[in-house]
Amino acid sequence: MSLSKDTVLPRLIEIIEPFNKKGIALSADTSFARDLELDSLTVMDLVAEIEDEYDIILPVNMLPDLETIGDVAGAVAEIKNK
Amino acid sequence: MSGAHSSDSEMMRADTDRSAVPALTRTEGGVPRRFADFDTLGEALDYAATSACGLNFFDARAQNPRVLSYAELASDAREGAQRLIAKGVQPGDRIALIAETSPEFVSAFFAAVYAGALPVPLPLPTSFGGREGYVEQIRNQLTSCDPSMALAPSALTEFVSEAAAPLGGIETLGWDAFAALPTGEASMPKAKPDDIAYLQYSSGSTRFPHGVEVTHSALLANLNGHAVGVGLQPRDRVVSWLPFYHDMGLVGCLLSPVANQTSADYLATEDFARRPLSWLTLISRHQGTALSYSPTFGYEICARRISSQSGVADKFDLSRWRIAGNGADMIRPSVMENFARTFAPAGFDAKAFLPSYGLAEATLAVTMTRPGTGIETDLVDERRLAGETPGDVHSGEPRTRRIVNCGYPLPGMRIEVRGADDRVKPEGEIGRVIIAGPSIMLGYFRDEEATQACLDGEWLDTGDMGYMKDGAIYIVGRAKDMIIINGKNHWPQDIEWAIEQLPGFKAGDIAAFAITTPQGEESPAVLVQCRTSDPDDRAKVREAIKAKVKAMTGMSCIVELVPPRTLPRTSSGKLSRSKARSLYLSGEIQPLAVAA
Repeated sequence: MSLSKDTVLPRLIEIIEPFNKKGIALSADTSFARDLELDSLTVMDLVAEIEDEYDIILPVNMLPDLETIGDVAGAVAEIKNK
Repeated sequence: MSGAHSSDSEMMRADTDRSAVPALTRTEGGVPRRFADFDTLGEALDYAATSACGLNFFDARAQNPRVLSYAELASDAREGAQRLIAKGVQPGDRIALIAETSPEFVSAFFAAVYAGALPVPLPLPTSFGGREGYVEQIRNQLTSCDPSMALAPSALTEFVSEAAAPLGGIETLGWDAFAALPTGEASMPKAKPDDIAYLQYSSGSTRFPHGVEVTHSALLANLNGHAVGVGLQPRDRVVSWLPFYHDMGLVGCLLSPVANQTSADYLATEDFARRPLSWLTLISRHQGTALSYSPTFGYEICARRISSQSGVADKFDLSRWRIAGNGADMIRPSVMENFARTFAPAGFDAKAFLPSYGLAEATLAVTMTRPGTGIETDLVDERRLAGETPGDVHSGEPRTRRIVNCGYPLPGMRIEVRGADDRVKPEGEIGRVIIAGPSIMLGYFRDEEATQACLDGEWLDTGDMGYMKDGAIYIVGRAKDMIIINGKNHWPQDIEWAIEQLPGFKAGDIAAFAITTPQGEESPAVLVQCRTSDPDDRAKVREAIKAKVKAMTGMSCIVELVPPRTLPRTSSGKLSRSKARSLYLSGEIQPLAVAA
């Protein structure tokens, strides 16, 4: 089954919700650094959760370009469809 | 890759999952052990190559190792050296290397060493977002070390090329492309003990990086000290997840095993960050006894991660963990005790803790405690730590802090605690920590001013504060302006510089420092002089500052706007961060109101 950014997004937001300590509304445009203010260790916790959920590895060279939840949804879909 | 030594029956017995761990390098090398008594690092690898030891690189779940015996490493590195020489690389040239935890990085590092060039390990990106900051950091380090070539994992060459673009002339290749270059049959240059072996950018400002020059003789003296300090045993292996761009990862966990003919098992740092318990799995699976080191936060996240799980004793066997090193940041005894309690059912012995003190400018370790003693602490009055004399000014119950014994100088190293007048302080009095000995750096690469600021003859001013007691050093604070978050050093200059990039702010408007949150964690804070009077506009300014700091440094920072001309200066007109910090904490600097 082919995944797209839009089909990944709702479940991804559910995974991120426990990390949303500020209780803001999450969307594709939510930024990890600016909006969620996650520190680097928490981010790695989250990366592990996402990897386990989708059984993928998010390569280290992709991380710097993943600014928003939408970016991650796109990356997950791209890796899953490879 | 071969390195197959499956006849090692001891390994088979110790191994809990045989199918996942094939053909690891042997623990006992089969050659007389030499404690780093070589003239150069190249010679050290030549000797290690005659042993049966080597390096194993595990995947994220501590399985499927790639095995690189020292014999293969030496052979790969000689081939790499021929490629570098064929490319025109000369002795003394710098080769920038993105320090991935992989056989390719290690081979390239030693290729540069054999070619007489200086390998310069550079960091990997670490987290979501932050492309701008990462490229900028690499660019600053490339500018500082001025390399003739940059090598990187193939997937990261794009970032390195982007960083190198404005500098011109730095050829950037992925590991694959480098391996495809033609070799030659040139004669290898013979390094001298006083030659620089490599440059280290492990800590310090990312905006204004300083490359520490480590000579072969300084390195090998330090590695000998390391072997002596831990009382290296025939059945010791090193287990590490520390990054190779950090001194503890590079020197303690790669160069020390090579120079002391010890095998090592690696987990990539990014894999540790995601699944920290894989570190303990690797130690559990270990044949022989383990040497494994970490800053305090590494122990902390393991204890935190396991708290939601049960059956520690079923999952891990940590009884073989002989030396659990602590260093690289301030050691927090309560965190270490919690780790020991949590993992005692798995056989962890708190006496395995081995606090140490070191810095890149001394290659790595300066002092180590004695193996088998664990963490010893001293209760010190907070007022003494703040530089006050107990008895005046304050009243009421004294608050105390536990200070960790960081150990005794390694062979040949000397340590002194001096006061502001540069006189040596008596035992028990806090002052600046000054060190001398064979593993002190030559200087900072092409930075005479920074070198002179800390090196005075043979003595290096560490910038750290501490006191001596019964011949041991007790560190009470690292370089006073440094901000350490989750084991990573940050410099206030980098935060201040990030904010200066926004329109309307200039140097001197901004003071960054670390504060301790009510939860006892370090957090960066920054005071910014602001001329905006409207509270709504101030809110926007503050958000813009937060976002900029995050983008450039990766940190979430407490931002307070303060009125113009409130930041304190020293007598020479320089910004005083420590004074700004105390005025802020005491309430004498009041932040401006900001709209919610």
